[in-house]
Amino acid sequence: MFYNERIRSSSMFSKERIRSSSMFSEERIRSSSMFYNERMRSSSMFYNERIGSSSMFYNERIGSSSMFSDERIRSSSMFYNERIGSSSMFSDERIGSSSMFSDERIRSSSMFSDEPVQRSQDGGRPHGGETAMISRRLLRLLPAACPAPSPGSGSRRTSGSSRGSMNVFDREMKRRQRRWAGSLQDTHLFDYLRDEVGGRVADRVYDVARTFPLALDLGGGKSHIAEHLSKEVVERLFLTDVSEKTLRRRTDIPTHCVLADEEFLPFPENTFDLVVSSLSLHWINDLPAALRQIHQVLKPDGVFIGAMVGGETLYELRCSLQLAETEREGGFSPHVSPYTAVTDLGNLLGQAGFNMLTVDIDDVQVHYPGLTEVMTDLQGMGESNCAWNRKSLLHRDSMLAAAAIYKEMYGNEDGSVPATFDILYMIGWKPHESQAKPAKRGSATSSFRNLSEIKPPSP
Amino acid sequence: MSGSNVRTRSREKLRAFPELFAQCSAEATVYGKCVAATTTGRQELKKDMCAKEFEALKTCFTNAAKKRVK
Repeated sequence: MFYNERIRSSSMFSKERIRSSSMFSEERIRSSSMFYNERMRSSSMFYNERIGSSSMFYNERIGSSSMFSDERIRSSSMFYNERIGSSSMFSDERIGSSSMFSDERIRSSSMFSDEPVQRSQDGGRPHGGETAMISRRLLRLLPAACPAPSPGSGSRRTSGSSRGSMNVFDREMKRRQRRWAGSLQDTHLFDYLRDEVGGRVADRVYDVARTFPLALDLGGGKSHIAEHLSKEVVERLFLTDVSEKTLRRRTDIPTHCVLADEEFLPFPENTFDLVVSSLSLHWINDLPAALRQIHQVLKPDGVFIGAMVGGETLYELRCSLQLAETEREGGFSPHVSPYTAVTDLGNLLGQAGFNMLTVDIDDVQVHYPGLTEVMTDLQGMGESNCAWNRKSLLHRDSMLAAAAIYKEMYGNEDGSVPATFDILYMIGWKPHESQAKPAKRGSATSSFRNLSEIKPPSP
Repeated sequence: MSGSNVRTRSREKLRAFPELFAQCSAEATVYGKCVAATTTGRQELKKDMCAKEFEALKTCFTNAAKKRVK
């Protein structure tokens, strides 16, 4: 269209804030085995310039990190228990998964064969005190030849029906957005960020010197991670996504595509040796519960390697829109949400039961010609705002104002504007006896004070 | 897809946005500076604080759009 492709390498050295020392000063991070390594890599992002159709404007999610705090009161036994009774405020969000675990045992060769297996299941059942049928769940196990068309008729009751404190996002809306984005003719043009991050997640999988017999890619869409993996590392893969349009196999690893919501994993306990996830966890309403489910489907000594946007992602867009709406309309509505902070992530993983955590942050900057291109591309990625309290329109004056402010405040000398994506990577292990444990308290034989006098161990 | 409807029309408009916006870069800079100035000082941004600058930007933008149609 009007602009050339831009290929920029962005420097990653701006983020000095993640330092292990500052992390340990945080009281909230209790897990001592956690360490943060900051990976700084230069990334070259291809920005495929394209001005697509867009009538929906882009909003980003709102959410508050405070939603994680009152999560602790929930016990994991609720996954198994059908009767939830006392804590009924959470109950209707849980039903889907609990029944899946009992009925949908993935056990025999029926699922692992390449024959098309299709099951639909009514997972609704009454629970403690409430008489209504809570949740209908339709699970489709697609055959290995993805994509398989599947009507979006899953009349599952979405988490949107009860607007609790843990219900920030309209998951049904997110599914529609992803489906719309996946059905675009030039949908691959918007994959640059997912491909890049998927490659980096795959890098981390290669860092584990192990062969994984069975892996799960959560929200994997078009195999953005799997295309960087080889059969030698992952022998068999389950690929899940909320939208059938984005489920696509692009790897030679034997893959099963499953249409599943990340919030309700339709897999039995202790199934997978590896769970990976790239850029989908940030749309989950209840991240602690989702992480617990991931923990559950992992085998002991299994590893979860995930990436999600967080930190100060899209702060340029957020600030521009806020300033523009304040100046034009006298008040602003949230377009870009606060994300999970990197400092919270270790705690979240620890709460979910993960061990030996690694959390690090990557700062990816993409340069766009202007505000509309940022929003169009985010929409093409299926990353439009789906928060419940999103505003349904962006006034044209505000948009014009925001474009001017964005360019003035953040623009580069050549007229392009940057958009920052803070990618948080997390690695956690399901505990197992074989894993290294911290030494017993008081078992040290020498003091740190004498560190300089200690001889290096003989090789 | 069937012909022209409100969705396709608004997409058309949005597609033209960068081009029209580029024609008003001077006005945009003035407006952007006006708003950006409020973020550094003690002054707080209020509604219509840069109304004059925005008016200039909008006039330019509208004129550019009219020119394009003809």
